[in-house]
This record gives sequence, C-alpha cells and structure tokens, in this order.
Amino acid sequence: MSSPFRNSFLPRALPSLHAGRGRGWVRLSKRRFASLAHPPLAPPLQGGGFIALAFLLALAGCDREQRDMNGQPKAETAAFVPRGDPRSAEYENNAFHIAQGQKWFGWFNCSGCHFHGGGGMGPPLMDDQWRYGGRMEDIVASILYGRPNGMPDWRNKITEQQAWELAAYVKSLSAHPRQDALSARADEMSNTEPQTLQERQKVVPETKAQPSGEEN
Amino acid sequence: MIQISLFPVLAPARPLAAIRKAGVTNGRETEGWTWMRHACLRILRKPSIAAFMLLCSAFAAPLAAQHNGARPAAAASPPEDGQWTMPSRDYASTRYSGLNQITRSNVRNLKLAFTFDTLNRKGHEAAPIVVGNMMYLTTPYPNHVWALDLSKGGRAVWVFRPHPAPASQGIACCDVVNRGAMYANGRLFFTTLDGEVFAIDAKSGHQVWRNKIGDISKGETITMSPLVAEGKVLVGNSGGEMGVRGWLAALDAGTGRLAWKAYSTGPDKDVLIGPSFKPYYASDRGADLGVHTWPAEAWKIGGGTVWGWISYDPQLKMIYYGTGNPGPWNAQQRPGDNKWTTGVFARDIATGQARWFYQSSPHDLFDHDDINEQVLLDMPIHGRMTPVLVRPGRNGYMYVIDRRTGQVYSAEAYGFINSMDGVDLATGRVRMVKEKAPKEGRVIRNICPTASGVKDWNPSAFSPRTGLLYVPHENMCMDEGVFEANYIAGTPYVGADVKMYAGPGGHRGVFTAWDPVRAKPVWEIKESLPLWSGALATGGDVVFYGTMDGWFKAIDASAAGGGRLLWQVRLDSGIISQPVSYRGPDGRQYVAVVTGVGGWAGAIVSAQLDPRDPTAALGMVNAMRDLPGRTKPGGTLYVFALPK
Amino acid sequence: MRRRGASLMLLPLLALAGCGGIQTIGGREGREAALIDDLFTLFCIVTGLFFAAVMAFLFAAYWRRGGHRADRMPDEGATAPRDRGLRIALFAWTAAVIGGLMGLAVASFLTDRSLAYSTAAGRPVVSIELIGNQWWWEARYHFPDPSQNFRTANEIHLPTGSAAMITLKANDVIHSFWVPNLAGKQDLIPGRVTDIVLTPTKVGRYRAQCAEYCGLQHAHMALDVTVDTPADYARWLAAQTRPAAAPTTPQAIAGYRFFMTRQCSACHAVAGTPAGAGVGPDLTHLMSRRTIAAGTLPNGTGPLHAWIADPQGVKPGANMPYIGLDADELHNVVAYLETLK
Repeated sequence: MSSPFRNSFLPRALPSLHAGRGRGWVRLSKRRFASLAHPPLAPPLQGGGFIALAFLLALAGCDREQRDMNGQPKAETAAFVPRGDPRSAEYENNAFHIAQGQKWFGWFNCSGCHFHGGGGMGPPLMDDQWRYGGRMEDIVASILYGRPNGMPDWRNKITEQQAWELAAYVKSLSAHPRQDALSARADEMSNTEPQTLQERQKVVPETKAQPSGEEN
Repeated sequence: MIQISLFPVLAPARPLAAIRKAGVTNGRETEGWTWMRHACLRILRKPSIAAFMLLCSAFAAPLAAQHNGARPAAAASPPEDGQWTMPSRDYASTRYSGLNQITRSNVRNLKLAFTFDTLNRKGHEAAPIVVGNMMYLTTPYPNHVWALDLSKGGRAVWVFRPHPAPASQGIACCDVVNRGAMYANGRLFFTTLDGEVFAIDAKSGHQVWRNKIGDISKGETITMSPLVAEGKVLVGNSGGEMGVRGWLAALDAGTGRLAWKAYSTGPDKDVLIGPSFKPYYASDRGADLGVHTWPAEAWKIGGGTVWGWISYDPQLKMIYYGTGNPGPWNAQQRPGDNKWTTGVFARDIATGQARWFYQSSPHDLFDHDDINEQVLLDMPIHGRMTPVLVRPGRNGYMYVIDRRTGQVYSAEAYGFINSMDGVDLATGRVRMVKEKAPKEGRVIRNICPTASGVKDWNPSAFSPRTGLLYVPHENMCMDEGVFEANYIAGTPYVGADVKMYAGPGGHRGVFTAWDPVRAKPVWEIKESLPLWSGALATGGDVVFYGTMDGWFKAIDASAAGGGRLLWQVRLDSGIISQPVSYRGPDGRQYVAVVTGVGGWAGAIVSAQLDPRDPTAALGMVNAMRDLPGRTKPGGTLYVFALPK
Repeated sequence: MRRRGASLMLLPLLALAGCGGIQTIGGREGREAALIDDLFTLFCIVTGLFFAAVMAFLFAAYWRRGGHRADRMPDEGATAPRDRGLRIALFAWTAAVIGGLMGLAVASFLTDRSLAYSTAAGRPVVSIELIGNQWWWEARYHFPDPSQNFRTANEIHLPTGSAAMITLKANDVIHSFWVPNLAGKQDLIPGRVTDIVLTPTKVGRYRAQCAEYCGLQHAHMALDVTVDTPADYARWLAAQTRPAAAPTTPQAIAGYRFFMTRQCSACHAVAGTPAGAGVGPDLTHLMSRRTIAAGTLPNGTGPLHAWIADPQGVKPGANMPYIGLDADELHNVVAYLETLK
C-alpha cells in the first residue's frame, strides 16, 4: 500500500536534522525502513514502535491505584471496632483516603475542636498522647461511638468509610506516614504548613517499668 | 520585661490625636489640659530644661492631685462591710474594697496567711466569695463548691459536687471555667458547665433547687457568675462558637422557676422588645430587627450569647449587660447588622423588657463579644453629673454611655487598634477599616486587636479614691482566614483559621490606669504575657492583679504614683482569676487570689495543646508558645495578710 | 475508497448538530451571547473572504505557473518579479490584510467593552453569588434586605430584560461557568472573586456546563438556567424564600426524622428545619428542579431512589457517600424529599 507520506513534502530545512541530534533517528529509520526508496528521514509516525511501547507503558500505570468509592460496610456494626480489622491496612497510608479524610476533617467540624492537630476544645491530635488508643481501630471507634469526656459520636452523622478516612488522616497527623501519601497542600489558609513540611514528633520509647520501692 | 511608662512625660501625644479623631468634645477642660501637657513636651526638648520642668511640674501636680469627680452610682455601691458577696463586689461592678489596712507603705510586708488546694488543675477564673466567716470557692468542671471557714484558718467545712455531664467538656470553647458563685439571702447561686443553675444553702451546703436551662446537645454551656437582684437570678448561656442562639434568663431566686427569658436574636417578642424600648440611635429602631438584619433563618443559630458581666442600678431598676459575638465568625455568611449581638442591653429587671440597646460592633467581623463589665458611675459630663456606665469594650474602645438613654458620650481607644477607625458619636457606629475585613479564600494579616480583643472577660476595678479605672488587658494582633462554616448542631460553627501574636512593642499584656472623665490613660504597665486576671482596687490605694506566669502584684494606685510596683510574689501557677479583699474574723484585711492557669489564653498549659499548630485554640497557641515553659497547671487559693 | 470518501463528506453535518438546542454556542438568547455571536460572524465573513481570496490566488498561481525544469522543481526565472501590476497587487493585498486585521481588532475591542460595561445605571440588577464545588453549583441570591437572601443548588432563574450580576467563587479547584446561549466563559478560581454579567433577552431553558476540568465528575457538572418573564421570576423568588413546609404523611414524617438524625443533615440544609449544613446542596426546594446531581439525572421518584441508594454508582467519586440505607429508610427519605417543593 502506498504510504501517503512517501512523497515527502517535508521542506528542505529538514536535512539539518541529520547533522545534530537527529542522527540516531535517521539511522534507525534507515535500518527499519530501508525498503522505502526515499530520503532517509524518519517522519514521526515511522517511529511507531516507540510509540506503541510508550503507550503500553502508560497503560500499565492505569491501575496503579484502585479507588474504592463505595466502601464496604460491615453487615453488623459492633459497639467497638476489634483489633486487627483488615480495613486498617487498607486505609492507613493510602493517599486517596488521607486526602478524603483531610477534606472531611474540615467539613465535619473536626477542625473546630481539634484545629489542625494542635487541639483546643478537644485534645491535640498531632502529638503521641492518645487518651483512648492510637491505632486505626481505636481512632475509628472514638469517632464513630464518641468518648465520655466530650467527643461526640458520629455514627449517625457520617458513614463508616468516612470515619476510616478520617482516621487515616488523623493518624497521618501524628505518626510517620509515607511522604508520598501525604497531601502537599494544606486545606486551609496559609496559617499552617502542609503536612509534607511538618516535622514529626519522635515517638519516645517508654522506659521499662521500674521496680517499686518499699511499700507499707 | 516589665516596663512602666509614665504618660505625662514619655508617651507621644497619642491621646491628643485620638481625641481629635474621635471628635470627642469633653469640654474645653480636657483639651486645655492636654494642650498644656503637649506644650510641656515641646519645651522639654529645648536646652533650658530645668526651669521649664519646674514650670511643667507645677501644672502637672494639680493634674495628678485633682480628682476627676467620678464616683460609683450610690444606689449600686453600698458602704464597705468587709465582705465580698459577689464577684463584682457590688451591683455597680466596682471591684473595690474600702478596707485600708493594707497601704502603699506596708503592702510589702504581706505574708501568706493560708492556702487551699482545690485539687482541680484546669483554668480557675472564679472569685472567692466571702460572707461573714465563710469563704466559698467554685472550681472549673466538675464545678465543685468549697466552703472554707476563715475562723479556722481556711479549713474546708463542706464541698458541694453538682456532677455535671462529662460531655459538656467537649463543647466549652475556652477551657472548662467557672467565674464564681454569688451569695444572696443565705444562699449561694452558681452555674455548672452543662447548663444548670444551682441554689444551695450557704451554711449547710445542701441543695435548695436546681434548674437545667441550657442544652448541651445544641452546644450550650454556662460559665458565668449569676447576678441575683430583686429576687431574680440572672443567668445567660455560652456557646457563640457552637451555633447557639444566645439568651439571658431570669429565674425566681426562691423556687428556681423561669421568670423571663430574653433572646439576643430573633423577633421582638423573643428579644422582649416592646413599647418601652427606646434606643438612642436610629440604626437600632425598627420592628423585628433581630430577624431582618440576618439572612433568613440565620438568627436561629446566630450567637449573641450572654456569658459575661451584668450590672444593676437599683434606682433605675435596670440591668445592663452585653451580648456575645454573632455566629459564625465568617461574617460573609451573615450579611446585615446582625442585631442584637455584640451590643449592650439595658433591661427592666422585673419583666426583662428592653429599654435601650447600643451595638458596639454591627456586623461583627472579629469575634468581639461585648460581654465585658459595665462599671456604673456618676461622673461629670460637660460639667454636669451624669449617670453613666463605663465599659472597656472588647473591641478596644472605652465606652462612656448614659445609663438612662444609651447615648455614647465618648469611645476612646485604650489599646492599639488598626481594624477600626474610631466611633462616630453622631450615629454611634464604629468605622471599620475595609482592608482588615476577613474575606473568604484569603488570609488578612496584622489585624489588631485580636479576636480576644484589647480586653477579654477579665474585669477591671474602679477606685473612688483616685477616680481611676484599672484595666488589665492585652496587646495582640492576628492573621485571620475565613471559609464557609458548616452547621452541625453541637459542633463548632466558626469558619475561621486564626493565628495570634504580640502587638506593636512586643509585649502581650498591659495594665492601664484609665481616667474615665478625661478619657485617657494615666499610666500603663507593660507585661510580657497577656493579662487574663481581674483587677482589685483597695482603700489603701493599692491595686492588685496577677500574671499568667504566676506573679501576683501590688501596684501604687495613685495617678502620681505612675504604676509603681510595690510588692510581688511568685505563685505556683498562672493567675486568671479575680482577686478579692475582705475583713477576716480577726479584723485584719486579707487579700485572696486563686491560681490555676487556663482559660482561652492559657489552654496551651491546662489542656496540653501542641505548639506546632499555630491555629490551635482559635489562634491563641501561636501567641502563647512560651507559656508552658514559664508556668504549669495549678489550682490553689492563696490568702495574704499583714502580720499581726 | 468511495465509501470512506462518502462518510468523510457527511462529517461536517455532525458539526451542524451544535447549532441549535439548550446548550449551543450558536445561541443568541442573551445580550452577551449576541455580541459574541456577532463578532464571530464578522470574523467568519472577513476571514472567509481572505480565505477565498488566498485560495483564488493559489489556483491562479498554479494555473499561471511558468515553465518547470526537468526535475519538476519550480523555475524561479519563470515569472517576472518586477511586473508593475504584480507589485500594485502585492501592496493592495498587504493593505487589505492590515486593514482587515485592524478592523477585526477594533471590533473585538468594542465587543469586549460592551461585555464589560453591561449594566446600565439605575436598571434593576439581579445579584447572584455562584460557588463552584466539586461537582455541583451553589447559587445564593442576594437582596438589599439580607433576610430575603436564599440558597439553591444547580439551577438559577433569571428575568428577561434585567442584567444579572453573578459573582463567581470556588471552594476547591478551578471551575468555569459557561452558559453558551447567554454568554461566554468565566472561571471560578479559589481565593479570587470573579464576575460575569448576563442579560438574557429570550424566555427559555438553557444548560450551563462547567468548562474547566475539575476532577472525576467534571462532565457531570451542569447548571440549569431558566429565563423567565419578570412576573414568573417574581413568583419563583417568592416560592424560594419560603421555608420548607412540615411533612404530614407518616412515611414523610419518618423520612424527616431520618433526615434530621442521620447523615443527611450533616451535609444538607433544609430551611425551616434544624438541618443547616452548607457543604452539600441546599434541598429546601428540591422538587422544583428539573434535574438532580448537577444535571446527571432527571428529577423524579425513580432517579431519586437510585441516587440516594447508590450515589457512587451513578456518579463515582462524588462527595455524596454510599450510606447503605435499607429499603424502608430509602422510601421514607424519598417520600420526605418529595414534599420539598
């Protein structure tokens, strides 16, 4: 079949490609398209193999991240969230869920009491002191079921997935999250720094319990 | 760290400019004296200083010694009886003890008489109440009331535990404080954080009645000290940051049943505005302004909480109090003047019907709650003795308002303000600086004063001997960015990110002696930390106040004294409470103060907040990052007296 | 080859499909759209003439081409460059091009000025604040008396003959407001306030579309623009300022209770009820709208059920979460929503 580009309409200026960086191209085209009895210039489409390869590589990136839009609520909602809930691994350190949690944190007025981790009406969330436990399951339980000293219960106001996403964000405020999972933009006016720039407090290892002195 | 500046000598002619700007014509007398001082300053710069200094001091001395004629409203300030039955000392809110055993010369000999640990480590804002030989102290949540026997060295006789709901701790914006009880007719009246009012027998500590008038599911709490007068217990709610609708309720002192309730927003029948309502300024006249100056339905969650101080004039039978900020802080969500928030109401105490209203901050942009104290004075205005109330406004203007009509005679700045440009006395309206108005989507920087204002709730004291008002206040500025606030009942409804820091000069606190008649400061003491304690004035010309890092100070109250520090002692924790003075069973004069840092400014210590987030505690954490290193949580009553 | 050629010739007809309807750049139902359309027509005519002239010269040049060399390259010596007629033609052509371009520039400038100074002083102005969110529009109507202000979502009504001053804000990312029948595009940029003026001239219904890619559901971010007669507009305003009526049937009451105590009131507001949240669309007059979910579904019982039961299935990535209502709760809630007329 006759290629429409055979009778090359490329201007005479193109020979300059030969001289410089185009040389590699020309060589390749000479080898691959030697059958074409025309100037050894490689019109873009004749590098088709490269393009196909690049396209395949790009396609391979499509499923790099799965976003679960629906969330999978459990059939029964227990009065506590047991340790070892598999959702912990799914939500913690996940960029999408942390970003969603960052959005809910402002929407549902969490920042009204906890501000941007520093605390106020509520205790700080960016340090390593956890009144009711600092694991993902504990944070989700605090959010969904409330706590005695003023944390309201949100189980009727947000969905479970939103609670897990909030927990992912809260955990990222204090723990050592993956830098590529954190949001590089703070969701509020420039009074605080984005999370990627904040220092993380070292979690101080607890000293072993000392033997007690003499007791009467 | 502590600077004492003598205004007549060192300060620039700021007061003169301020007077000119605000258009106050307080009689030629004021301008004359100020001109004279201005002339002295120019003369002092010339080489032949000595002779002219003599000339100036000849003028200055009479200035200092001449009393300005202000005195507390007679009906509202009974003669000294050595007790302290309400946090404001009397209905005129003078916070002045006439006892004069402690004087300027012997105050340095004050010794600790006794202490009492409340075992509570949150912010203690209450004033100890002294009735006869008993002292009563309310604590922050869980709001215990301790009765101490002063004849037995302050030993606790009983404690009343009201058991407020723990969930109320989560909706208290600014620490779980309580501002004190009030004694009347053998009973103590106080409030609890979860919205209850209690009356207990002062002798036995047994409950007489209780009434739950606040709803924590809506975000309402109560922290204020009730005012009891004419058989009514006046209590208002807190929660201006929670989308709460503000109100003031009057309960019957005998039974606790609700007598009347005046809302701060909404239709006239809810606000108890009727035919006797005669506001002085035109912008406050109209039907149902509490609805029409808001977007539809916004007044229902509009704020205007009443959590501060109430004064009472027994002669006019009127109560005076201020309303809190409108909600949310993001003013773009609530176009309109937002009546009747951030203003002063005068009401008839028997029926609650409003008599007049003055709005200090129409369409408030900066959370400038108007709940500060009103000191009821009779003082010369244009040469005539006039019944006025003097109030250090949160927005930084010292208002002198006619008690009968609501007319503003003067409104001078007593701190640094750049977000407002004076009050136009013809219309009563404050002039806002457009560039400092917070806007959605951006941060407006360097707004002075902060949301906590030039002065927050901590009350000033008036001394009839010097005629001066002693004002403990702040000098801070802020950056504010606002965004749309989402209303969910029982959660914060603010819509602002704030970051506070020290104002011009670098000092965050100021203690000012203010002349209410001449409307200018007489002397000032600069403090490193903001002042969050009340002031106490005594008959020995000594004023007391406390700092947030625990120093309890005695200052020379006289105008000529220049604010000289006479005595100070470092206590275990910062002081945000109200010092009181009383005559003990042995006849000596005692001074009592409670430590226990906290409140809005001290939350970083009492709640152990994280200093890495500058917006925490509504921006206060950024300004108070050094506080955890300077003090620790506490909660102890200290009582001082001269040695026997 | 012939089949391909035939189908290629039909392609231009597809382009003509954009000429009519509720969302078309060919629409002239507003003053601004008419101005832009006129400018576009002028451009088409002028550039069309020049195109025709250039084509004519091209054909003429080919027709009149001189001799050629053996290797089929053009012979530079064939034409006479000093031909006087040719030089005059060259100058004339340059002058025509310059004149034409300048004319177009002036026309463009004048059109811009007309668009910018749209409001005649003294005429009544409709004041709307439009806020772009991912992926829905919030419309707030402002009046001199703030107690008449109200909010609605994903729709605006405008009266003919009046200028509507629309202030544009964005809450998250850049959006763009574009109702082609009435005006051009204007971006909504977070942190800035932009504005646009619409002066509709013809009663009708038009569709606006977000015109700046803003995320997953950018394609499903439409806005219903209805242009009414002034009387109809006043009627619509009066209806919008009324708060929602209380439900009366048991099913609607059960739905109201669910709405107020569950996730709905954490994001949505209904005027006259305790629900006052602002992060989701205002639902006070939901049933007066033609579409739901920013134009994704038509309004009606079925689509409402589908949307509330599984919003992520309809519009994946939207901020309305999957709540997991059971059948009774779903019917109750929809029954309540259907009372919000």
